[in-house]
Amino acid sequence: MFTLSAHFPPVFAHVHFCRMASQLPRRIIKETQRLLADPVPGISANPDESNARYFHVMIAGPDDSPFAGGVFKLELFLPEEYPMAAPKVRFMTKIYHPNIDKLGRICLDILKDKWSPALQIRTVLLSIQALLSAPNPEDPLATDVAEQWKTNEAEAIKTAKQWTLSYAQA
Amino acid sequence: MDDEDMSCTSGDDYGGYGDEDYYNEADVDAADDVEVTPTHSEEAEYECLTVSQVERVFLDGVNQLIARIPVNDKCARTLLEANQWDVERVVKLYRQDRTDLFRRSHIDARPEPKRKLSATSGVKAKGYCTVCAMEGHAELPHLACGHCFCEHCWKSHVESRLSEGVASRIECMESNCEVYAPQEFVLVIIKSSPALKQKYDRFLLRDMVNSHPHLKFCVGNDCQVIIRSTEAKPKRVTCLACHTSSCVRCGADYHAPTSCDTIRQWMTKCADDSETANYISAHTKDCPQCHSCIEKAGGCNHIQCTRCRHHFCWMCFGDWKSHGSEYYECSRYKENPSVAAEANHVKARRALEKYLHYFERFENHSKSLKMEEELRDKIRKKIDDKVNEHNGTWIDWQYLHKSVSLLTKCRYTLQYTYPFAYYLTGSPRKNLVSFLKTNLAKMRKYKTPKTHNWKTGHIFFRFDIFGLTKSDKIEIEEYYKIILFGILYLVYEQSYKPKSCDRLSHTGVGL
Repeated sequence: MFTLSAHFPPVFAHVHFCRMASQLPRRIIKETQRLLADPVPGISANPDESNARYFHVMIAGPDDSPFAGGVFKLELFLPEEYPMAAPKVRFMTKIYHPNIDKLGRICLDILKDKWSPALQIRTVLLSIQALLSAPNPEDPLATDVAEQWKTNEAEAIKTAKQWTLSYAQA
Repeated sequence: MDDEDMSCTSGDDYGGYGDEDYYNEADVDAADDVEVTPTHSEEAEYECLTVSQVERVFLDGVNQLIARIPVNDKCARTLLEANQWDVERVVKLYRQDRTDLFRRSHIDARPEPKRKLSATSGVKAKGYCTVCAMEGHAELPHLACGHCFCEHCWKSHVESRLSEGVASRIECMESNCEVYAPQEFVLVIIKSSPALKQKYDRFLLRDMVNSHPHLKFCVGNDCQVIIRSTEAKPKRVTCLACHTSSCVRCGADYHAPTSCDTIRQWMTKCADDSETANYISAHTKDCPQCHSCIEKAGGCNHIQCTRCRHHFCWMCFGDWKSHGSEYYECSRYKENPSVAAEANHVKARRALEKYLHYFERFENHSKSLKMEEELRDKIRKKIDDKVNEHNGTWIDWQYLHKSVSLLTKCRYTLQYTYPFAYYLTGSPRKNLVSFLKTNLAKMRKYKTPKTHNWKTGHIFFRFDIFGLTKSDKIEIEEYYKIILFGILYLVYEQSYKPKSCDRLSHTGVGL
């Protein structure tokens, strides 16, 4: 079984993060510290070495989903306006999901009009994890995938599992 | 300004958008200069208001509401803004379900979030703001929903929303909270920044005016005037301050006989060169509610307009609510692949040719209109000459002047028949001809010589005859009407046949 900490030793990341934290808003510092110290199960988020607003994210496919056993790489960026504006998140790993398109863009309301400054990186990543568990073909981004998901769910789940095996292995 | 002159009684309910209504109330005696005749049927009844006068309009509405239901003035204003300033409607909704009305108007929160608050009260005691993650704030302002955040974060939030052009709909910062920040709250938050306050006031006025069905900003450059009219039809209003004419409904240039929707499409098409226009038409769509131009940069078909907050489907423009729970079915989306299968480039080229055909004529008339100003000057001079030579009196020659005015007016209308013709679909010929015939039948009661000639296109030469007829009894407006219908016919009948316009320009010269 793959463990996320093996790839991103939290101690090292933390030391590095403190070195560049001086110009960052306190909110981002606190969020980052908490993400590193108290990570969400199945999710790791580490700030980039040269840019503390850019996060390397790994989400493990939830057990109850066709993505189980896969590890999905994402990038997360906190724009200058954060937290007044939503973080920008994108899948880097290919994934067969009705709400995630070929370029890895995610259709998630809280990343768009439902963003609120009270939400956090943590809540965003949790929502993405939940989206993997519950694909929503009624609100599709990848229309072809959504179509398949609606007309032949068994086939769609099979494809999703295959893709997970082919592309999302650590 | 004289209110008597520009506003008259309103409320006539025409059956629909029919061209005959434009000219029914013609007042021939007053038609010396058709452009400024207030009782003219093309003119809407309207008033030009300043910002302070508009404020009075809002206050009137607020006072009316306060007299009916027990709410304070600020609350009344928000309720009215959320309900198109319809006092009756607000009163009705208030009596039906007060809580629901307040929630829908974003004044009060749903009951659920309030319960959650008790959990965070311990944090609140320390003056902790969840947005900036700082403790020790002396004050944590909140809206009616009770979600507390520090002043600094509120200010950043307001600033961020203002930069997106949102003023009256600034939501609470809490996730899923739909309460909007009222004016008095925002003003306290931004009191230290005059620049923000100025921006907020400007946007708020804009939102208020836009929320009122009878108010429109004058479209003239840098014009502060707000036009008030109850007119429901696309009639003409002319700003008394900057003299810009526009359609009372959509704010575009006056565009009879073309409808507001058609002219919007047409102007978008014309506004840019083909590449830009193609890009806009290929990549953007208009919000079905407020017509803001929206480019989809990513995401699904569920779109929320940042301007008016309307949720709709990107594919079929239906309200998102109708999509939400039921099976995702978007018929327009399904049609697309088959359309795309056809030879697209051939179709595009044909479409471009058709467009250029109409656009060229539209533009020509626009240019001719400018030239007619020269013609008008020439005629004025000619009249002076004639009078000086004791050849008739000034009054005798006024028919010439009237003729040019009429010609200008006709040409203006003719210009706007091209977009109309461009967007004709189905069996246009049939529709148009039957339309013309019906209207012509109505006109037969007027004794207008040789009206049957319109069929052959000779109608334009009637200008000469008209111009030479000194009788004041000639019903200018009736002529105008016949000519318009003749023109409509010609626009259609002579589509794709060159020289249909040449004849017109000759008419101008022949006067």
